[in-house]
Amino acid sequence: MNGYAGKILRLNLTERTVSTIPTSDYEQWGGGHGMGSAIFFDLVQDKTIDGFDPANVVTIMTSPLCGTLVAAAGGRTEVQGIGVQSYPIGWFTRSNFGGRFSAMLKYAGWDGIVIEGRADEPVWIDIRDEDVQIRDCAGLSLWGTDTWECQQRIWSDVAGDEGYGDWREPAGPEGRLTTQRPAVLATGPAGENLSRVACLIHDASNASGQGGFGAVFGSKNLKAVSVMGTGSVAIHDPQALLATRLWHKENYAFDLGSLKAPTSSYQFQDPPVPMALWAQGRPQTGQRPQACLGCHSGCRARYQDGAGNEASCFATAFYPDAGTLDIQRAASDLINRYGLNAPEMIWGLTYIGILAQTGELWAGDIPDCPLDWEQYGSQEFVEQFVKMVAYGDDGRGNASQFGQDVSNGFVRAAEAWGRLEQDLSSGILAFPYWGLPVHKEPRAQVYWGYGTLLGDRDINEHGFDWLKLMVYVVPGEALEATAAGIVKAMTDKMVPFQGDMDMLNFSEDNIYSEHMAKLVSWQRYYTRFWKQSMLFCNNRWPDFMNVYSPDSLGATGVIEPEYVKAVTGRDLSFEDGIQLGRKIWNLDHAIWTLQGRHRDMVHFVDNIYDQQPLFPVDAGIANVHLPGKEEGKWGFYGYSERTLDREQFEAFKTRFYELQGWDPATGYPTRAALESLDLDYVADELADQGKLGG
Amino acid sequence: MIVVGVGACGAPDESPVPTDTPKPANTPVPTNTPVPTSTPVPTQVLTPEALIPPADGYLLVDIGKCQGCLSCMLACSLIHEGVESLSLSRIQVMQDSFASYPEDLTIEPCRQCVEPLCVPVCPTGALAADAANGHVRIVDSEACIGCGLCYDACPFTPSRAFLAPDAAFDGEAKSRKCDLCANAPYHWAEAGGGPDGQQACVAVCPVGAIAFSTEIPVQDGEGGYKVNLRDETWASLGYPTS
Repeated sequence: MNGYAGKILRLNLTERTVSTIPTSDYEQWGGGHGMGSAIFFDLVQDKTIDGFDPANVVTIMTSPLCGTLVAAAGGRTEVQGIGVQSYPIGWFTRSNFGGRFSAMLKYAGWDGIVIEGRADEPVWIDIRDEDVQIRDCAGLSLWGTDTWECQQRIWSDVAGDEGYGDWREPAGPEGRLTTQRPAVLATGPAGENLSRVACLIHDASNASGQGGFGAVFGSKNLKAVSVMGTGSVAIHDPQALLATRLWHKENYAFDLGSLKAPTSSYQFQDPPVPMALWAQGRPQTGQRPQACLGCHSGCRARYQDGAGNEASCFATAFYPDAGTLDIQRAASDLINRYGLNAPEMIWGLTYIGILAQTGELWAGDIPDCPLDWEQYGSQEFVEQFVKMVAYGDDGRGNASQFGQDVSNGFVRAAEAWGRLEQDLSSGILAFPYWGLPVHKEPRAQVYWGYGTLLGDRDINEHGFDWLKLMVYVVPGEALEATAAGIVKAMTDKMVPFQGDMDMLNFSEDNIYSEHMAKLVSWQRYYTRFWKQSMLFCNNRWPDFMNVYSPDSLGATGVIEPEYVKAVTGRDLSFEDGIQLGRKIWNLDHAIWTLQGRHRDMVHFVDNIYDQQPLFPVDAGIANVHLPGKEEGKWGFYGYSERTLDREQFEAFKTRFYELQGWDPATGYPTRAALESLDLDYVADELADQGKLGG
Repeated sequence: MIVVGVGACGAPDESPVPTDTPKPANTPVPTNTPVPTSTPVPTQVLTPEALIPPADGYLLVDIGKCQGCLSCMLACSLIHEGVESLSLSRIQVMQDSFASYPEDLTIEPCRQCVEPLCVPVCPTGALAADAANGHVRIVDSEACIGCGLCYDACPFTPSRAFLAPDAAFDGEAKSRKCDLCANAPYHWAEAGGGPDGQQACVAVCPVGAIAFSTEIPVQDGEGGYKVNLRDETWASLGYPTS
């Protein structure tokens, strides 16, 4: 089918063998996450293995839209496998990064990469079209380099230092040329040292951040994957694709001739402004926006001094107490270079900072902390901190138990220090679910917390997140008048639950309801397919509301199928995609169940039930305002200043499980639910393992 | 002020990383067809300025405004070849994630040179100024023998004419270069491209970093083609305009 390269690259690092899997075997899943989950399920016989086990399979998948002009969908890559970051179990998990890697992979003729085994020596993968080599790191002295240096050494090897920009023939079919540098996905020192909070970095700041995949790479003795593609992606209807893109741009994207949207970077309509969250703002230097391949609106920038290049969102929120903007930008670069998960570093530093403030850092069973807190705010401090987590030492090359502990992540460190329960309960260790750092306020944006708990990671899915900003951009009275309209417009697009406005009613008496179960379900299904399998960008999609369209409605629900049709020729409705998302979500849930998931494990830390927020967790917003219906009246109301109710949350779980067709007593999938999705073989494996719900 | 070019097309000014620097002499050219020795040399080799009228249109780019999304390259290969490919794009954008603005990126479109060195060297006349399309320098794929002389002759890096296997000709190498979308079989608009129509890279660029001009840019150096397209709206987004 058009849009696909037709084959998936399979690498066994233990055997150092290269083989292929026909994409057609997995095409029914669409691409990306769906394909990755299906491949993982087939190749990993024992789903209970640890993420560091050589038998763990890592998939790096593209979609049929990668490498194409589909707006904000051409450049993302989905990474999956058993992670090592979550607690108490490293769930089968996912992470997704932007840039140009997936496009290059498609141009090289591959829809994805499947990595198995563990190399006996550090290696990197050199893909140049059809030519695939597992190469020793020693030749380029890659092991030990940071993620940027690693990429630059590979660039030089594959594309050459001199004459950059000229046409060159990297390999592969004769006569195919490129001016481009290879796209490289690399782990840094943190991953080499098996830090559980290590990520993968591509280009300057595209991070496969969550899950600890940097460490999984490290455990496989895999430093990097480089891909240089000189081929092409076949398109079903080229004229329709470009016409659709231009129509989409004309009617739904920012208009530089008549700019309406605020200069934020949250939605499809927003102009190319970097999502730079540095505490002292965006640098006032020369800069350009920078976008992933094919994106209409870049959300990061490159700067005149090169500092903070391409960093956005979480990567720019690290070390907010830096003495200067330059120091904070250097801190962003440090976590990218050493390959560390930004939110873990943000909330980890907050945690030990509070312990230092209260003096508890030097009490009890906490090993000697090598950091000089008098230097907090300086570049020296943050460099030592980053190196400490990356290398598991004192950050200066000396052994340190404290460094070793935090290198395993701050939840495991707290456990080692005998403080886990008390610090989660007090809220100073802001890791409310699965040992993972908080993102949105779970007491207010409940769908975010519920989705995370019912899944495997901080969902980091922003489709409804912009609602909290409405209170800042719409005057009070107008906002009241607008609330019901916004809710109706959005819920009307949410097939198959369309029309149920209470899905977006965040009032106290509705957040445990079946309506909320539908909202969480819709988001699970929508994102599993459209965002994580078709790889529409999380930041720009879905497009619910749009200031440029005449009726203020965004293009979501209409435009996605048109793009898929133009690229692949496949008639796939928006709802078809949602149903496929449901199937993928069920497969994922089956894998978690095989790993040991039971409904009794699915709960927040006590703090979420017992206390109001200790501090604002999202952009300093003390009280998140969301749509709700109070005394029968729709409006935007502050919902952070509440706690969740344990019993009612348990009742919500029952409603959610029943809505999925799962066993509410255990949370296990049922045969009926799985067979209705043509997942009979999954039900069989669950039955074999005694994990099938009744 | 736009000045009609009077100088030679080659030997442009020095500029930051990858740009219009002279091509190394040993550049590998993937020719798969030898130059036929019996092919008559076209007469325009002798007096090109007398026989090659200037083109009616030019692409101008702002390398300080470009967001590096490569949409122009994707649109180019899409409407010319029906596929998405960076290697088949007639406009090339190259960038370096780790470098400093503005040296981190360049855009290299064909200049539709007033004195195009690629045209007279073509041994079959396949690369010619097309009178039916505003004298844009266009490759006739039927007549192209894939010899690579146009690639060699282009004084810029990367060469604005390049060879690639062409599926329509059983994979034979054929020269490609920018034709301002005059000869784009998958053009989206009924009126098509060329100097009187729409160019895909201009239309698709999300930030307006590529413009079309009917005036002949200054031929010496890069300044005639690499221009400033930033305005007050751009400044309002926090970007420099100079």
